Amino acid sequence: MKYRKILLFLLLAAGSMMFGATVSLAGDIKMIANSGVNVGIISLVDLKAVFLEEKSSINGTHVEPVLEKDGPVHQAFLQEYLGGREDDLQAYYRTLVFTGRGSMPKVLGSDAEVVAYVARTRGAIGYVSRAANAEGVKTLAVGNSPGSAGERKLISRIEPNYPELLEQLGIGGTVRLRISISAQGNVEQVELLGGNPILGEAAAFAVRKWVYAAGRSRTFAEMSFHFGAH
Amino acid sequence: MDRCGAGLVFACFCISQLSLHAQDFKLFDREVQVHGFASQGFVYTSTNNWLTMNSSQGSAAFTDFGFNASTSVTDKLRVGAQLYGRNLGQLGRYHPSLDWAVADYRFKSWLGFRGGKVKTTLGLYNDTQDLDFLHTFALLPQGVYPTDIRDATLAHSGGDVYGSVSLRHGLGDFSYTAFVGHRSDSIYGGYAYLASSYGVQFSSYGGLQYGADLRWHTPLKGLLVGLSRINQDITTKGTSPNPSPGGAPIPYSSVSKADWINQFYGEYIVGKLRIDSEYRRALHDESTEGGLLLSTSDTRGWYVSGTYRVMSRLAVGSYYSRYTITVVSGGPLAPRVPDQTDTSLPGNHVYDKVVTARVDLNRFWDVKVEGHFMNGYGFGPYPDGFYLQDNPQGFARNTSALVVKTGFNF
Repeated sequence: MKYRKILLFLLLAAGSMMFGATVSLAGDIKMIANSGVNVGIISLVDLKAVFLEEKSSINGTHVEPVLEKDGPVHQAFLQEYLGGREDDLQAYYRTLVFTGRGSMPKVLGSDAEVVAYVARTRGAIGYVSRAANAEGVKTLAVGNSPGSAGERKLISRIEPNYPELLEQLGIGGTVRLRISISAQGNVEQVELLGGNPILGEAAAFAVRKWVYAAGRSRTFAEMSFHFGAH
Repeated sequence: MDRCGAGLVFACFCISQLSLHAQDFKLFDREVQVHGFASQGFVYTSTNNWLTMNSSQGSAAFTDFGFNASTSVTDKLRVGAQLYGRNLGQLGRYHPSLDWAVADYRFKSWLGFRGGKVKTTLGLYNDTQDLDFLHTFALLPQGVYPTDIRDATLAHSGGDVYGSVSLRHGLGDFSYTAFVGHRSDSIYGGYAYLASSYGVQFSSYGGLQYGADLRWHTPLKGLLVGLSRINQDITTKGTSPNPSPGGAPIPYSSVSKADWINQFYGEYIVGKLRIDSEYRRALHDESTEGGLLLSTSDTRGWYVSGTYRVMSRLAVGSYYSRYTITVVSGGPLAPRVPDQTDTSLPGNHVYDKVVTARVDLNRFWDVKVEGHFMNGYGFGPYPDGFYLQDNPQGFARNTSALVVKTGFNF
């Protein structure tokens, strides 16, 4: 039994290495939210709108952006979700502030500070490095294209099961999926974009059972799931 | 200069250094943010005096400052206000005014309301034209954003409806603003200063203003296009010289019959490069003294600009700006106001080639050095930077200008 576990561990490690490049594409960050934020998945459109202060509520829940001080985590966030450069983002916020159209978002110095602030602040949405301890906050999955699942109302959602063996071995991480949703609202296809293949299959197994509201046509979405200690 | 200006900037700088670490405070359990800015410029021109400054001798009468405070009253309701003051040659004269004071309620991302004194959304930079620290250039293209008559478009007392929507099928984002309100120009602005050269003293200048702005963030990343429109109904009141020698000044008034501005614009940002272009046409059809003078002025301006951030603390830029004016008069007093119809004449245009460099000493403090190479002086019954009372000897055809400016914000 012990050898089986070791063999499995090596296989999983190899699998993770195979997908390593893709996983890093997912960014070294994860989106987190106050536990009162009433969403588990957020579309990229909504995410940008929140951080550009164009949107202050999602699904009826108040939301507000929290930024981390300029550094690798912030740069990863800019690159992956907002686009543009730090200078442009700062100029944008200052435009809001000095024309009476918004306020300067909270900027904190470290992952720990962001997690602590998000945990105690109603509606707060922030980002931290993927390895950060995110105890007390929820992790958000992000759909990354307009017209994606973020805009299709999710009617039925089943959370993925954390495979028991991997949990015992302390193997976790983030997996990224790309899904296609039929016009009728069923999840047609699930593609593993990155992460541990066994965790990916666990996530895909759950997502295949999700049901969305009917739409005009097939849409696509990308999302990530985190397994392991928050 | 202007010790007053330098002292004020220095005081603001000291305050900012204190405030950089203490710009938020709590009031009734709500976080209040306090921000501010100030800038000080120096202008030297080769020939004509420009922007009401004694610039041919070198002038530092180029100061502005602003402070604001804002807070969120509820999750969707924000309130705030900003004071702004400036001294630009003979304009502003350190009379601070309420720049904006708004209550902003956003129902949805696609529907929000602002009320109070609201900055007017017009083109790319109308609402930020005073915010020197946001721009690479020390002076925005004067053909489209004439700083001497900034009041004309800057803000309105009234309300906005605004919002933005993401278009389906990856067609980008669409933003709109519609507004209505009352425009009220400072009596220390360019219109009043120009009128004073004819002996007319304004007591009030303003009126109804309404319009809209539509802008589209296209699917091509970094490309924005848009258009704006303003309609106005402007009334001027004041006094004018009595034609009878020794007589008391007589009441003066004028009303606009048709008064509108159209603006079209585009912006493209790719990496460290930003390219902007805008076109503005403003038509003023005005009746003065109950129809004694009817004048229609048609001003058209456009520019193309490019800026490039060479490194994190250094940006360079250049623009070419063109401004033309035609004026046609009617009524009994028309013979006293010659028509201006040939825009190739230097009195009917200003063409400006500009190069600039901006250095950010730190995140809050910048220095700009800028060269302007202008052809024409656009002198006429409409302000455009060159005023007869500042150039009593007459105008030179070409003007070169060096502008050095430093500013900070927190």
